[in-house]
Amino acid sequence: MYLELAKRNLIRTKMRSILAIIGIVIGVMAISSIGIFGEGLKNTVLENFRDVANEVIITPSYSGGYTTIEKTSLSKLEKVPYLESIIPVKSESALIQYKDRKTYVRIYGMERRSVEELFEIERGSSKLSGTCVVGSTLAERLNLRVGSKITIEGELFRVSAILKEEGARFDINPDNTLILSEKDYDDLFKTEGYSMILVKLENLDDIEQFKETVEKSINSRETKVRVFEMKTIIERITEAFNQINLFLIAIAGVSLLVAGVSILNIMLMSTMERTKEIGVMRAVGASRQTIMRIFLYEALLLGLIGSIMGGILSLLGGYFIMIAILQSAKYLFTISSLISILQGVSFGVVTAVISGFYPAFKASKLEPIDALRYE
Amino acid sequence: MKKAREKMKTDTNQEVVRLEDVYKIYITGNEEVHALDGVSMTVQKGEFVAIMGPSGSGKSTLLNMIGCLDKPTKGRVFINGVDTSTLTDNELTRLRREAIGFVFQHYNLIPTLTALENVELPMIFRGLNDDERKRRAMELLRIVGLEREMNRKPNELSGGQQQRVGIARALANDPEILLCDEPTGNLDTKSGEIVMEILSKLNRERGVTLIVVTHDPAVSGFARRTVRIRDGRIIEG
Ligand SMILES: Nc1ncnc2c1ncn2[C@@H]1O[C@H](COP(=O)(O)OP(=O)(O)OP(=O)(O)O)[C@@H](O)[C@H]1O
Ligand SMILES: [Mg+2]
Repeated sequence: MYLELAKRNLIRTKMRSILAIIGIVIGVMAISSIGIFGEGLKNTVLENFRDVANEVIITPSYSGGYTTIEKTSLSKLEKVPYLESIIPVKSESALIQYKDRKTYVRIYGMERRSVEELFEIERGSSKLSGTCVVGSTLAERLNLRVGSKITIEGELFRVSAILKEEGARFDINPDNTLILSEKDYDDLFKTEGYSMILVKLENLDDIEQFKETVEKSINSRETKVRVFEMKTIIERITEAFNQINLFLIAIAGVSLLVAGVSILNIMLMSTMERTKEIGVMRAVGASRQTIMRIFLYEALLLGLIGSIMGGILSLLGGYFIMIAILQSAKYLFTISSLISILQGVSFGVVTAVISGFYPAFKASKLEPIDALRYE
Repeated sequence: MKKAREKMKTDTNQEVVRLEDVYKIYITGNEEVHALDGVSMTVQKGEFVAIMGPSGSGKSTLLNMIGCLDKPTKGRVFINGVDTSTLTDNELTRLRREAIGFVFQHYNLIPTLTALENVELPMIFRGLNDDERKRRAMELLRIVGLEREMNRKPNELSGGQQQRVGIARALANDPEILLCDEPTGNLDTKSGEIVMEILSKLNRERGVTLIVVTHDPAVSGFARRTVRIRDGRIIEG
């Protein structure tokens, strides 16, 4: 019944209530759609890393004076039982020539199965023996095709395959590189150690144990290698995005604050206008708490209506921002969107109730006789 | 109803209202206004008392004091033998809700509520359930002859009808004391008479203690006792 009373009072000052609701709608919409967009952005970025969370990158410890990882270190790693795969990689920068064009590129030396495991092939076959595999950007730059002949350090290599474009990637980005078999690479550059080892763990939980093993078996006397977990990197990115998101939501929150002030304002007006009514209710037996409740219900109703509408509309808002900035709305209907909406809705409701609190308190504090006398 | 009358008989000398040397002093600027200037009076259960006096003499102030809407500057007010100055705000609210009914000169109905809902309001505050509330509110509206108008809002009722709704509302929680501040002040003679008939019938048949502030000798004619007041003092009764 108090709710009914609150509803009728809101209808009595319809225009005012609508304006207050619009304020809340806008505030909630801003918060929720930015939340939805932020989560979408994060997911879009993280999607490149999702299947590499169990990857560990081992690099030489440059600060320890090592530029390569020794073969003995590799054989020690190969003895660790719980690894899904282990991919040793050599790399060097070198001048290559195709027809009359010369350019410096990064050259990797690795086994054929490693290439297949790490990358996707766009055209050709990954056969590596006196031949090479090139990344998409490099192929485009030099106008390479499967079968083109490239000169590397004076030796001639035929292109056996061109890789798919990869985009952002933390371990090895092959787009602008050239890959040789380990044997061809060794013949060309005569290097001993590896410049990087990519390790995949069977189970993410083994990561601490693995790091310990590396410390004990390889780094026991001096720091020869460093271990980077993708998991940490992904966590860092996630954290950074969460912070950006929070910041954006806080900015959007200002609009909700404004809505809150407008609710405060209209409810103060209502308490003034209804002073006499408050007096009558006190006279016929309403306690201070009851008066407070009636006014808080009004704020709650404004908040609920506005927030729910805002929450629904924020799906639309999120959709448009995603289309405009990410060119895709595939992350619109996700759990995190739902959480963003619920978050916005609860912020809206809480703001409304907090704003209603002071007017409600003021109304409840009126002395019955003063309220009754009020004209 | 029979029970109520029997109770009335046995309690004839029970004081429902007692004022002891009550002052209400307003300070406006550097002037003191003694709205009530040492008022002492008692009202027995089942009495019908009219309070008369010129404008500004303190009638409303006195009535509000009895109704626990206002607090005396000095002196004490007893309702059913309880010193109201010892009660908390919630206890006073409860007293107003359950022992006292108010009828106002300007009706003071809640404009957003229908006649029926206005009558239900004090029962809502008391926490009565929906069915019982509705049943009782309809019965009360029947008593004041407005059962057909029960779904109308106050602005769809005449002054006399609104005042009858006001009376029904005052009776909602079956109070022992009914306080009326110029209940006919805004009504024409005919509607005023209907209202007074209802009130005096309530007094006669239900034993409701009735205290009515009025300017109108026709109204005080219904009363068994008239208290005259001037400049905040009782000069007769
Ligand atoms: N809040 C107030 N502040 C100052 N003076 C007040 C206040 N309320 C009442 N008074 C004064 O107290 C006196 C009594 O007022 P009260 O309303 O009781 O008169 P009344 O007898 O009911 O008059 P009326 O017949 O016109 O209704 C008046 O002189 C009035 O001016
Ligand atoms: Mg008066």
